[in-house]
Order: sequence, then C-alpha cells, then structure tokens
Amino acid sequence: MSKQKKGIGDRGQTLKRMLEENRRLLKETGCYAGLTQPQLLRQDPVKAELFHSRMMSSLIAGRETCKMVSGSPYVREVAELCMGIYTPEGDSVLQSTGIQVHVRLMGDNITWMIDNNYEEDVGINDGDLFLANDPVIAGIHAADLYDILPVFWEGELVAWVCTVIMEMDVGAVSPGCMPTTAVERGADGIKFCCEKVGSGDRLRRDFEIKIEMSLDMSDLFLLDRKGAVAANIRVREELKHIIGDFGLDYFKAGIKELIEEERRSQVARIKQRTVPGRYKDVVPFEIYMAETQTSWLPGKRDMIRLIPVRMDILPEGRLVLDFDGVGEWGWHPFNPTPKGLYGALSISVVQTLSYDGRANLGSLLPCEIKTPPVDSLFNPSLIKKLATGNPWPAAIDVFSLWVGMLGTAFYMRGFREEVFNKISSSGWQLAGFDQFGVKRPMMAGTTGNFGCGASGVCDGVDTGAWIATMETDTGNWEVWQLFIPEIYMSRMLEPYSVGCGRYRSGLSMPTMDMLHRVTVGIGSGAIGCAHDRIIPNLGLFGGYPGGKRNTFLVRYHDFKDTVSKRLPLIHEIGDPRTFMDYPYAEVRRLNHMPPTIEVKDKDLLIADNGSPGGLGDPIERDPALQKADLDNGLTNLDITRRMYCIEASYDEKAKEWRIDQKATSQLREARRRERLARGVPVEKWWQQARQRIQEKRLDPLLVEMYRSSMKLSEGFTREYRDFWGLPGDFTF
Amino acid sequence: MSYSKEDLKDLYDGRLPWEKIKEIMSRPKDDDRFQKYVEILQERVPWKERILLPIGEHLYIVEKGAERIVKCDCGHELGDYRRNWKLAALIFVRDTRQKLEEVYPGIRCPDPDFCEVREFYCPGCGALLKVESVPVGCPIVFDFLPNLDAFYREWLGRPLATDQEPKDLSNEVTLSWRAGIT
Repeated sequence: MSKQKKGIGDRGQTLKRMLEENRRLLKETGCYAGLTQPQLLRQDPVKAELFHSRMMSSLIAGRETCKMVSGSPYVREVAELCMGIYTPEGDSVLQSTGIQVHVRLMGDNITWMIDNNYEEDVGINDGDLFLANDPVIAGIHAADLYDILPVFWEGELVAWVCTVIMEMDVGAVSPGCMPTTAVERGADGIKFCCEKVGSGDRLRRDFEIKIEMSLDMSDLFLLDRKGAVAANIRVREELKHIIGDFGLDYFKAGIKELIEEERRSQVARIKQRTVPGRYKDVVPFEIYMAETQTSWLPGKRDMIRLIPVRMDILPEGRLVLDFDGVGEWGWHPFNPTPKGLYGALSISVVQTLSYDGRANLGSLLPCEIKTPPVDSLFNPSLIKKLATGNPWPAAIDVFSLWVGMLGTAFYMRGFREEVFNKISSSGWQLAGFDQFGVKRPMMAGTTGNFGCGASGVCDGVDTGAWIATMETDTGNWEVWQLFIPEIYMSRMLEPYSVGCGRYRSGLSMPTMDMLHRVTVGIGSGAIGCAHDRIIPNLGLFGGYPGGKRNTFLVRYHDFKDTVSKRLPLIHEIGDPRTFMDYPYAEVRRLNHMPPTIEVKDKDLLIADNGSPGGLGDPIERDPALQKADLDNGLTNLDITRRMYCIEASYDEKAKEWRIDQKATSQLREARRRERLARGVPVEKWWQQARQRIQEKRLDPLLVEMYRSSMKLSEGFTREYRDFWGLPGDFTF
Repeated sequence: MSYSKEDLKDLYDGRLPWEKIKEIMSRPKDDDRFQKYVEILQERVPWKERILLPIGEHLYIVEKGAERIVKCDCGHELGDYRRNWKLAALIFVRDTRQKLEEVYPGIRCPDPDFCEVREFYCPGCGALLKVESVPVGCPIVFDFLPNLDAFYREWLGRPLATDQEPKDLSNEVTLSWRAGIT
C-alpha cells in the first residue's frame, strides 16, 4: 500500500482535498465550510473587529505600496488595481478598496490551480510567484493581470494574497490592450495561465526577458509586477504578524467565519431591502465587424444578439439570474464566460448591497447565475479558440441594467435613496509612434466619464458613475497628457446626454482628445459597452434613458489655418442637431467599435457617451431643480421646455433664470392632454406590430437576432410566440 | 434604527440636502421602513383600498375585495397584478426618426430601424408611467411580478388573508386579443 503524500494544507491535507471538502460542506449545509453555527467571532466581537480591521488595513496599505512602486498611469492615476486575501481553498475573505470586479475571479484562478493539481505537478512553495490573465480560466479581459502569492506558516499554506492590475500593453494585436480586431486566441497577446514566474519572492530573470522581448511597454509591465509583488509580500508579512498575535487556530477559523457571516448578512440585506418575485428586462448586444480587418474571415460580420435578463428573488433570500434566451456566440473577442459574468456581478453587488467593507465570497454565495446555454454568447464551447481580450461589454451592460432592477426592488421597499442605475462607455484606443518616437499601444483611462442614473430622492451624480473605478473621470489629466500624445480640448458636462425624469440622470462628459505629436497612428474602439444603435432600457418609472452615445473622428481641413485665423475649434458637443455641420473639419461619425482606422496628428478623437436613466415623469420635475440646472449651465431652455414643460426666462439684471409657474402649469396640462390624445390602447398597437413581425418586416440583423435566440431556447420561443399570438410553428 | 415619518416624507419629497441623504445611505437600514413607507403613501392617495406594494411612481398593487389589482394614484385601475399592467395602459411608440428626435435630437437619436422607445401612459390621468427602449419586435417587458404572499408571510411576518399563486397571466390578455382578430 503506497503511502499518501503529505499535503501543504491544514493537518497535512492537500489543497485539493480541502477544496473538495469545502464544496461538499457548502452543498450539504448551505453554509460556507459547513458553519451552521459560527461562534468564534461572536464570542468576542471586539477581538473579531480587530482581526478584520488589521487584515483590511494590511490590504489597503498593500494597495498603496503597489501604487508607489509601480509606474504605470493605470495604477497611479486610475488606481485600477485591487488586492484580496483568500483561504487556502481560494475563497475570498477580504478585498481592499479599488476595482471590485475580482472578488471571486482572483479566487477562481487559485481554485483552478488547485483543481489542476499544481500542488504536485507544479509545486507551491513559500515565496513562489504566480501570474494569471486568461479569461478562459477566470477574468474579465486579458489585460487584467493577477499576481498571486501563497502565505505559509510553519510549512503550512494558510492563505493566499492576490493583486490585480490592468495593463495597457499585453502584446495584443494593434491597437491597444483590448483589441476589437482580435478574433482568434493568439491575437489577445501574452497569456499566463497561472504560471509560476518567480520564487523566493523574486521574479525569474527568464520571465523578465520574455516580457522584454514580447511587449512594447515591458518596462511598465514589469514595474507593475514589482509593485504587485511588493504589495503581496507586505500583506503576507502582516498576515504573519496577525497569526502570531491571534494564533493560527483563530486565524484559520476566523477567515472562514468572516465568509459565512457575510453570507448571512447578504441574505438579511436581500430580505430587508428587496421584494421577492420575478424581475425581467432585455439587453441588446451589438457587434459591427463587417468592416473590421480580421485574418479569421468568419469574424468579418455584423451581428446583434438579444440578452433576456431574468432575476428571481426567492423567499429564502437568494437571487437567481437566468439568461435563457440569449443568442449565439460569435467570432469576436466579446463573448463573456460564465465566470466573467460573476466578475460583473461582483462589482455590482459590492456597489449596491455589500458596501460596508466586508465584501467577500459570502456576498456572492446567495447569488446564483444559472449556467447559460452551451454555445450561447455567454458560454461558447469553442472559447479556447476565441480571442478573449474584451468579454467585458456584454457583461457590464447586463449588470448596468441589473443594478436598475435591484433599484426597482429598493424603491418598492421604500429605500428610494438607494435607487440608481449605471451605463457603460466606449472610447478610443490607439497604437502608433508616440511623442517620444516609441511605437506602442495607447489607451487613456479616461473613458468612463458618464453620469449616474437618477436616484429615487435626487438627481443622479454628474460623471463619477463608472462603477469600476471612479478615478477614470477624476484622474490627473496632466499626467495622461504626458503619457499619451494627446491634448485634452475640454472637460465639459454635456446637457443633451441626460436621461430626463422627475429626477434626471447625471450628465456625461465627452472626451475631446486632440492627437499631438503622433506619427503613424491607428485608432479603434476601447469598448466598454455593447450598445450603439439601440439605447439601453435604463429609464425608471417614467424616466427616459439617456441619449445615444457616439464616437467621432474630426479631421480639420487645415488645422494651422484654422488656428491662425482664430476660427473656433471643437471643444464641446453643443447643439446635437448641428454638431455634424461644423464647417472647418470633416466630422466622421463612427459606431462604438470602429474598425482599425488611420488617425493623424491634430485629429480630434471624441468619445461622447450617453447617460443612464432618469426616474419618474419629466413633467413632474420640480421647477426649482431645473432652475438650478439652468443657473449652473447644466441644461438649456430647449431641454427645459421640450422635456420638462417648464417655461423660464433669463433675468439679465439678476443674472439668473426665472421660472414662469403659470405658463409651466399650462404647458404641463397641455402635455397630459396631448398624451391622452396620441396614446392608443396597447391592443391596437399590438395588432399592427404583430402584423409586421408575421411578415418579418424587420432589419435582417434583428431577424437573425430573434432567430438566434429561438435556436437556443424553447422557453424564449414559446414566450415570443405567446406574446405576439403567433402560430406554434412560427420562426424567423 | 428608525426614522420618523416626517423625516421620510422629507426624503421622498426631495427636501433633504445631499449631506443628509448621504448620512441615511451610510447608516444601517431601518427595519420599519416599509411599514412607514406604505402608511405615508396610503395617506396621500385619494382612494381607500389597502396598498399592498408600491410598484412605481404612480402605481400600486392594492387589495380590492378578494382581488389584487394595479391602481394608479389617480384612481384608474389596470387589472390583476399578475397581468402586465402595461397591456392595460395607453401606448405611444417612437418608431420613426421624427418621433424619436422629439426626445433625442440630432446625434442623440437612436436608429429607428433597430430601436423603438415605447411610452406607457395612464389612461386616467396621462401620467407617463414607463419608458421602454428595446429592439424593434421585442415583446413588451413585464418588469416585475412579485411573490406577494411569500413577502408578507415570510419576510414581513404578516400573512395576507388569502393566498394567490404568483403566476404570470399576461398571456390571457394577448390570447384574447388574438381571438379577436378576424
């Protein structure tokens, strides 16, 4: 009889054995690690708080350490990084401040290592450095690098520390780190599948050489690794102090109880703040690649997919998300994996329910995402063949809408102050020779500047809505201008981006970046959203969704001449009806994912994002709120009259706007009468719409969209036929 | 943790400054919020039926005899809550560039070949109850079907007098419309 090899885990167990046992206990008891009666932390709450606080402090200090050591603008200016502490099994115990997408994804990389027998086949030793960035394993795009460090105590692996950083260069095909032109896996750039890249707390020299030989921006990539390694070591050493002070037994039991206590808290929050039932909505997913240059020709096509979103809040306090009816995958880099969906869920849950600094795996255990149908957009069986440089857009559009669904639940419970929704964006990413003559990818972390959806008790926050990293719109612009050959023409809130409502959405702030001292430039989309022609369904309770987003390439006819004659340059959107008529340049309007396109010095690149939704009937908006917006230059008389039915005039003497209450009342009454006159019973509209569908008088892309959903889902097909009263054999 | 009804009225009516709203957001949530919320709303509507659940700015699921119906605060009734109330509303669909540009002028306008914006009005008062932006050909979305009995019995500990299975009955409406097509 062969002697079983001693593991590196608890009491000589292998990590694999511990992971299997943990999974079994969760399945059998419904409680994390089978903790049906957690006691340790409750016995001495002060000690427990100290235990938690010291670990949290170590993570935040570690994150700051990384920012100091690293040199990349993504770390220092956008702070697109996060740290976490994980159990030996890879379960999240604590997260630092920062981008909360990775609560579970970091751990999924660790469990993948355990499931793939790293303990025996690769070896996991004190001081080993592991690196991962493959969304097929776990991740939201290949530009996110996970630096993973095991924590040993007297020869036993007792925890893991992980730092995640977004990189501007991962060696992907041009342009940028999230290439829209990528179709096949190799186009994603360099991949690390939980690779051991160092030992003894040092990166291997051959790893460094590989990076130096592979990336245009190897210096920044390696600096970020050193920042992450330094941060991980700092946290590891503090964990050793904590174990020394609290004892190993307390540490091991305590980290598990933190997860179970958070699971229970999450269930309690769901029951306290929401309403059980079925919530539904739809998200369009638009991909336009017919003009894109791809070497894999099946990728050269346009497609739209429908993503039906269903959330059931169950009486036991669980959330179940179901995407049945989602259409098929495609040859593009935007297919999210089921694990990637959990990334988008993580960030949304942490911002809406679990925002008290204790978010961990327990926050997600009451939330289930039903495995999407095989070969759907969310679950391609050929995922290993596909580029996964950018699975983010569909996932984040879905969860932008989901936040609004949850907001509906908060509203119904009376927690109107918690209502909001969000939207995602698209901008530019570039490649070329920069102002220093260096060829490299370039993408400013400044595309997330759009407003929050309206609250249930006040207007949405202007900009600041990017749920991942708020710094994207408040970062240090001057630093970005040093780093990328661009001049920022303006930072102005865009009144027409608004989602109107009794409370309006926050306003978005278009980026207006002029290329300056760039030679040989190519541009493409930096895609963070999946909508373009169809505006997302983000209006709440009578509020309108914000307007359509746009990407523009502006090429001045003669820039020097325009400047020398002191003619106006474009620095704002202004009136959306006449923006395209600017006389001194060619204004080219592009979709959210423009194909690779030549850009030139002094071209103006504009990312003009929409806003999410307003809340409530716009003609019930308090005129005082609109007056404040008028006085602050956040709106104008056109919007005020047309959308809110408010009459106002500017008092030149007092330098402020005056509301005409009587005229406003008359305008609003007239609008109500107008609605009652033009509104028709739904049945009447339904009959006309049904006829159109029966005759398939829809754009071919939409016909294909519905056909694709029907192909994968009997349930969707049945619901579609039932709603439109179509025969049982109707298909597109 | 609890707030007075006056504080909550100020919150709902937009009378609180942001600093105070933020304070409420940052504190632990109050367990009696729903009860006070419904009491405030009940005081404000001009009718007597018991509000079971507010489901929008103007809409409530109310108890009317043995029925549970959706009712606008103006008094207009939109039928059994298990049928999508939108089917009983008035609809105005922005499906041309001209109609869309009334709301989304110029470059803000979505593509009418792909996107339509549906506005649902209360037939009683003309209030805009919901705006729905979806791909052309998409069924009307049934935003929310609550499990009222589980909510009252298991979460609030105040069971309702009778049980009703939370089953989506919207198809009954569209089937009747289909039957009416000659």
